[in-house]
Amino acid sequence: MKFKKIVLPLILLSVGIAIVAYNVYNKPHIDVVDAKADVLVTAENLFTEFSTDEATANAEYLDKIIQVKGIVQKLEIENGIGIVTLKTEDDFGSVQCNLSTEAKNDFNVLKENELVTIKGICTGYLMDVVLVKSEIVNQ
Amino acid sequence: MKSIITIFCICFCLSTVNSQDRYFTKSGAINFFSKAPLEDITADNNQVLSIIDASNSKMAISILMKSFLFDKALMQEHFNENYVESDKYPKATFKGEILDFNTLSEDLKEFKVKGVINIHGVSKDIVVIATMNKVNNTITAVGNFIINLEDFDVEIPAVVAKNIAKNIKVTFNFKHTPFKK
Repeated sequence: MKFKKIVLPLILLSVGIAIVAYNVYNKPHIDVVDAKADVLVTAENLFTEFSTDEATANAEYLDKIIQVKGIVQKLEIENGIGIVTLKTEDDFGSVQCNLSTEAKNDFNVLKENELVTIKGICTGYLMDVVLVKSEIVNQ
Repeated sequence: MKSIITIFCICFCLSTVNSQDRYFTKSGAINFFSKAPLEDITADNNQVLSIIDASNSKMAISILMKSFLFDKALMQEHFNENYVESDKYPKATFKGEILDFNTLSEDLKEFKVKGVINIHGVSKDIVVIATMNKVNNTITAVGNFIINLEDFDVEIPAVVAKNIAKNIKVTFNFKHTPFKK
C-alpha cells in the first residue's frame, strides 16, 4: 500500500523530471533550413546599415535568420568550412557567409559573379557582416 | 573598441600607400576547450579577423562572440546570455606586437606576442607564444594559451561549477595573406 501511494508516484515524478531535464539539455539548434527568414535584405543594404550605424544594425539583425541576396565575390574552403563572400560597393567590406556542413555539399553549384540568395544567422560586423550556419536558398 | 576601429582605419589608409606590408585573414579559427569533472565543452569560431602589419610587427585581432558555435544549443545560449553577455560585449579583441618579428622565415619558430586582450569588457595584458612561419607569402600563426574566467569577470554559478572549468584553453590557427583591394 505504502509502495503504491508514496514510492511509485515519487519514482514516476523523478523519471518525468529526468526526461524534461534531458530534453532541455539536448535542446536542438535552430534549424536554418526549415525556419522562415526573419528579414529579407540585399548584401549591399545589409553592409551599409552595419557600416553606418553598427549598434542599431546589431539590435536589428543579431541572432536573427536573415536572407541575403547578392553577387558572389569569392568562394573558398577554409578549415573544411565553405565560405561564400557576397560583394558590396565598399572596397573592403562584404557579407561573409560560413556555410553549414550540409550546405557545403552544394558548394559546387555556386559560381563567382553570379547572383545567389543565402539564409543564415547574423552574428555581427567586423570588416564584413558575418553570417553563420548559412544555407543556399537558390542560385 | 574605438581603438580597434582606429587601428583598422589606419591600416586601410596606409594600405593604399604600402599594401604589401599588411597581411590579414577574415576566416581565422579559434577554438576553446573547457575540461571539467562533469563534461567537456568545446566551441569553434571560424570567422576571426586578424591583421599583421609587417612594417612595425603589430598584430590586431577581432572576434565576434556570437560566432562561437557549440555542440549543444543550450550551452551556446548560456555562453552568450549569461557568461560573456554578448549583446553587451559583442566582440573580443587583441592588439599587440610580435617580438623579434624580423626573424620570421619559412621555418616554423616560436614567437612571443605581447599585448592587451579584451574579453567581456575587461582588458588584460597577455603574452602568448605563437608558432609562426611565412611560406608563399602566407604568414601562419598557430598556438594555444590559457585564460582564467575570473580575470575577465565571467561568473559561473555554483550550480554548474562542476560543468565548466575555471581555466579555458584557447587554440588559434590563422593564415594571413597579403592585404589587397
